[in-house]
Amino acid sequence: MVEPGTDVPARAGAPFDGWAAWLHRLWRVGTDAGDVTALASLVYEALLDDPGVTVVAGARWERGRSSYVRHRGRGDTEVTTLPGCDHTEGPCAPPPLDDGPTLLLIRPDDPEMLLPCPGGSALRDAGAAAVVRCVFELGDGDRAALWVGAGREPGAPWVARTGERLRQIADVLTVSNQRILESQEHERRQAMDAFLAEASLQLAGSLDVEETLRRVARMAVPAVAEGCMVHLADFRGTLSAVAVAHMASDAQVRLREVAEDDPWLAKELLRGAERRHGLVLTGEDLEGGPFGPGAPGPAVRAMSVSPLTARNRALGTLTFLYSRDSADADRPLLTDLAGRAALAIDTSTLYEQRRRHVEQLQRHLLPPGLPDCPGLALSAAYQVADDSLDVGGDFYDAVRVGDRLAVFIGDVCGRGAEAAAFTGLARHTLRTLLENGTSPAGALARLNGALIAQRASRFVTALVAVLTPRDDGTWRVRVANAGHPLPHVARAGGEVVAVPAQGMLLGVVRQAAYRSVSVTLGPGDALVLHTDGLAEARAADGSFFEDRLPEAVARCVDADGGGADGLIGEAARFRVSGDDDTAVVIVQVEGER
Amino acid sequence: MTDDGRVAARRVDLTRVLVVEDSEEDAEAIERALTRTHPALRLEFTAHGDGLAERLLGCDEELPGMILLDLNMPGADGHKVLAALRARPELAGLTVVVFTSSTAPAEVDACYAAGADSYIYKPVNFDLFRTVLKGAVDYWQQAKGQPPAAPGSPRVK
Repeated sequence: MVEPGTDVPARAGAPFDGWAAWLHRLWRVGTDAGDVTALASLVYEALLDDPGVTVVAGARWERGRSSYVRHRGRGDTEVTTLPGCDHTEGPCAPPPLDDGPTLLLIRPDDPEMLLPCPGGSALRDAGAAAVVRCVFELGDGDRAALWVGAGREPGAPWVARTGERLRQIADVLTVSNQRILESQEHERRQAMDAFLAEASLQLAGSLDVEETLRRVARMAVPAVAEGCMVHLADFRGTLSAVAVAHMASDAQVRLREVAEDDPWLAKELLRGAERRHGLVLTGEDLEGGPFGPGAPGPAVRAMSVSPLTARNRALGTLTFLYSRDSADADRPLLTDLAGRAALAIDTSTLYEQRRRHVEQLQRHLLPPGLPDCPGLALSAAYQVADDSLDVGGDFYDAVRVGDRLAVFIGDVCGRGAEAAAFTGLARHTLRTLLENGTSPAGALARLNGALIAQRASRFVTALVAVLTPRDDGTWRVRVANAGHPLPHVARAGGEVVAVPAQGMLLGVVRQAAYRSVSVTLGPGDALVLHTDGLAEARAADGSFFEDRLPEAVARCVDADGGGADGLIGEAARFRVSGDDDTAVVIVQVEGER
Repeated sequence: MTDDGRVAARRVDLTRVLVVEDSEEDAEAIERALTRTHPALRLEFTAHGDGLAERLLGCDEELPGMILLDLNMPGADGHKVLAALRARPELAGLTVVVFTSSTAPAEVDACYAAGADSYIYKPVNFDLFRTVLKGAVDYWQQAKGQPPAAPGSPRVK
């Protein structure tokens, strides 16, 4: 609130000096007032400083309708402000304006003594015998008027002086109003930029399309408008509501019903979806629909529909309901927001599709189950490094051939669809060869040849073990290795040793030869195969899981050690970095440990 | 009590807004924003929601027209405060605006189901913060039959 201050000389008899000080003060307040209300009380105070003035009134019209009326009589302690009216005739209509402020001297019997109807006869009631009125333009076609009433018939000098003062005040108000409008416009733009930034973060940060759209719709009310709806199209192009948000909880309930099955809305959404910049409906455009005049719920002044289009695909619509005036000024914002939302929707839909494909592919690359083999217990586990999209390159399988069991594990360098293709090739080649009774070393040599023939651009490591039962209850294990991490044998007594099988990576040298080494597994002994993701798991202190691998292997093959799952779990708890995929296969001979 | 035994809703004063907010920074930002956009509003602040309904009923005067309610507070959180306010028919005239940094749909649904009048996202950026607060206050003042707080303030184009 601006209090008329002590720096204003209010000496009667020196009105000119007093006026200069008032005017100076008005300009000062006018340059930083946040709204014109603060300025108004000062204006009324200043004009009433003239002892010849009995009443001061003011009014404002926006788009042809009065938005408020104020008045203050000499005996009043403050300004009375009344809301405007919707009438457009008589004193309620904006008075005519020539170039610049226009002045008019009004006598008591003149019908123009009346203010717009909320103010009525306030001038006459306050005892005005004559009134000087000044009408001026506030920019954007908005108009304002000030009335100054004298208690008795004024002389020409008073009328001239009062008219001059009103013109000066009109200048201050016009400039101040313009500045306020500009700063509000600036603030609005800042706020909308901030909204776009915060909404974009939300859009970029999530992959659940519908939830994200609900969040963004929520953020948009009332930042953009009082109500928001998002509709997405299915593959036939039928729109259905996925997000509905409104400022008011009861209005939101109703808006949801409208969003879901109102035929008028459905038609407008389709119309908006077809236009590049959507559409904005106001006034009579809204008649006959669920947001028209007289419809239940909060008054809607405008509705905007923006198409959600990304990569030339029509994805749906973004709709806003405004309780305030026209949405036109926000069109660039709407287009921008709709564009960003559409891109985010499209990206996450594609992502979701791709993720499903990857999951299917991954399932194809790993065996659906492990075979039963009398005398042996098998377990296998596979952990994908992160939830990224790429298919991992690890593979394993086990094949029963008569009373023998062949197991293998391998790793294609890299991830993604291309790695997956080689993973599939490697697994199926090895499986087929081993089913036909090919030896471990022979199987690796054949796979090497196949990869070279395919001009494989990736390295592949693999390790094959074939277990053959002996009559004494032990198993002979032949192991051939092509560049793969060494397997371990965990003895029933707790000892863990690496099996020193070595060989060249696959897919590099055409003539690579592979040799197998043999070990024997007794009752309770286990053969543990793993990929490098296990040994390379790294703790916060920089140490590798490899250093504790023997103990971990010993633990996991114990009766309650959890087998392959247990070993991977232990590495996962250890790991803070090193995010390769990890596969583990364990074959354990039945018997006491 | 009314004649038929129902408890009458207390009268509310639309020019008063009670801010229930434990964060000093947020309370200060709310004050800064509303003082600028609605200089005529009288703001009151409380940092905790424990016993809020009883505190409001304990005063003889009219109730504030609007409560801005934070959800995450130590002690009674916003959900508990909301439930306590809505359990009292005398407080039916209060407009409860949940003002919180969460946009989680489940949170919104829970608040609307529990009787919140509005659920407003609390933005990080101050310009946006002020815009949404102004939007909320204007909306409810208009809905409850009050002219906008600053009549005739320049229209935003």
